[in-house]
Amino acid sequence: MPVARGTDTESFTALYERTFPRVYAYVASLLRDRSAAEDVTAQAFERAYRKRSGYRARRGSMEAWLFGIARNAALDELRRRRRRASLENDPEDTAAPSLDDHAELALRREAVRAAMTTLEGKERDLIALKFSGGLSNAEIARVLGVSETNAGTRLHRALTKLRKACDDAS
Amino acid sequence: MTHPEDTAIIERDLCAVDTALSDARASHPDSAARELQELALALRDDSPVPDPSFTRELGARVEAGFPRERGSRRWRARFPRVTLLPVAGALASLLVVVVIVFAAGGPPQGGGDDGAGAGGGGVAESARAPEGSAGDSGGGAERALTPPPPDQPGFAPRQSQRRIERSIAMTLTAPDRDIPALAEGVSRVAARYGGFVLSSELDTGDDGATGSYELRIPSNRLQSALRALARLGTVSSQSQSGQDVTRDYVTAADRLEAARAERRSLLRRLERAQDNTQAEALRARLDLVAGEINGLRSQLRDLRLRTDYAIVAVDLVGEEGHSSSGAVGGSFDDALGDAGDLLVGFAGVLIRVLAVALPLGLMVALGWLVTSAARRRRRESALA
Repeated sequence: MPVARGTDTESFTALYERTFPRVYAYVASLLRDRSAAEDVTAQAFERAYRKRSGYRARRGSMEAWLFGIARNAALDELRRRRRRASLENDPEDTAAPSLDDHAELALRREAVRAAMTTLEGKERDLIALKFSGGLSNAEIARVLGVSETNAGTRLHRALTKLRKACDDAS
Repeated sequence: MTHPEDTAIIERDLCAVDTALSDARASHPDSAARELQELALALRDDSPVPDPSFTRELGARVEAGFPRERGSRRWRARFPRVTLLPVAGALASLLVVVVIVFAAGGPPQGGGDDGAGAGGGGVAESARAPEGSAGDSGGGAERALTPPPPDQPGFAPRQSQRRIERSIAMTLTAPDRDIPALAEGVSRVAARYGGFVLSSELDTGDDGATGSYELRIPSNRLQSALRALARLGTVSSQSQSGQDVTRDYVTAADRLEAARAERRSLLRRLERAQDNTQAEALRARLDLVAGEINGLRSQLRDLRLRTDYAIVAVDLVGEEGHSSSGAVGGSFDDALGDAGDLLVGFAGVLIRVLAVALPLGLMVALGWLVTSAARRRRRESALA
């Protein structure tokens, strides 16, 4: 169902407020570049705003639709960057742990980040959609264009691999 | 294929992960599942957080409804390259279909007034329309009149303005009681298209109604007039013939010009005649030339009349039974028949439209699918 005219800006604002931190977190996890993540997040919301009349409820939740747009924008950015230079091994540009973090927690976080680099791009994408984007398995399936069972199986495989990589690192 | 046991473990683990995310704690009794819960929480807690200044800036843009920048970016934003690709594909497909349709012989000719310049032939050609083919009568003459080989009589190769004598015979049928109205309609059509009725005969006796009309219709409005006539009743037969008389016309015109030149010369010589004998001889010659000029004029006038006006012979045949669509009055059966005719006509149009639209639609859909798949694959390649 298209977003109702007249109240669509309000609805979009509500959607934005509900999803902005998660969209940004997902895009930043995928790109591992905060500056690029800001650009892509802004671009994704603008595209969603322009295309909001094209949203159809029967094709999935509005959040899945929005994350689909964000994912496309992020993948386009990754392709652009790949054309410019190979950034596969870029250092992760995420927030440094704060001083009051417990040492154990900081270590754990570092181990997880290190383990993340062992995953393939598609696995990192899945993990980011689930834990940074906060999407349900059904929504992930919708974004990726696969069945929910398939999305769940792939997510489980990626998590298991990540856990093993964490264990190996520690 | 996943083993059922594995499926159960996957479901348990995924459920445990979702529980941990909603409860914000890892408390599953199974150690493996609990480890996944802890990992899930760590992953979520490690999610990047947006910068407050960026949050404010984007929030303001959302509130303002993403005001557009002026200039070319606006156009590009509205029609990005990926949107234009399918459109370009569809236009290319349309072009291909149009080219194929025209290469295969062109669309059905609805007619258009032909004038005297179409085709050319020294021998009589004829075209016979099938029964009831009123709509096809429009382009019949053009299709029927094919150029003759150069050695045929009447061929005048350098003449672009062909002189063609056309004659059409048409039989219209209608219920007996509608024949008088049909006859009036024939006269009206002749007048409407600048023609006239040369002869007419109408018989509405007890043993059936018949009629016979001979019309002269301007050649340049012939096809329109034929279509109008065909609409009056049911065309049970129609034949056309054409005779290219361009060479006769050109020859007569040339001879007339020559005769006039000779007369001018004779008149000049007569002015300078020295004696009566010479003058008498010139006068006698002038009489002969004048007779020749008159004859040629008459021949040209006749040819002009025969080519400027086509002969249309219309036979009206009455039949017992249903009333035709254009006839006066009507019963429930007539209405039913008319409705059937309309439906058949509509179905014909629909089939023609579908014949073009279906392949075109399939090509566009295929193009769209291929483009979408290629675009998706290109994007996914960024994750490889």
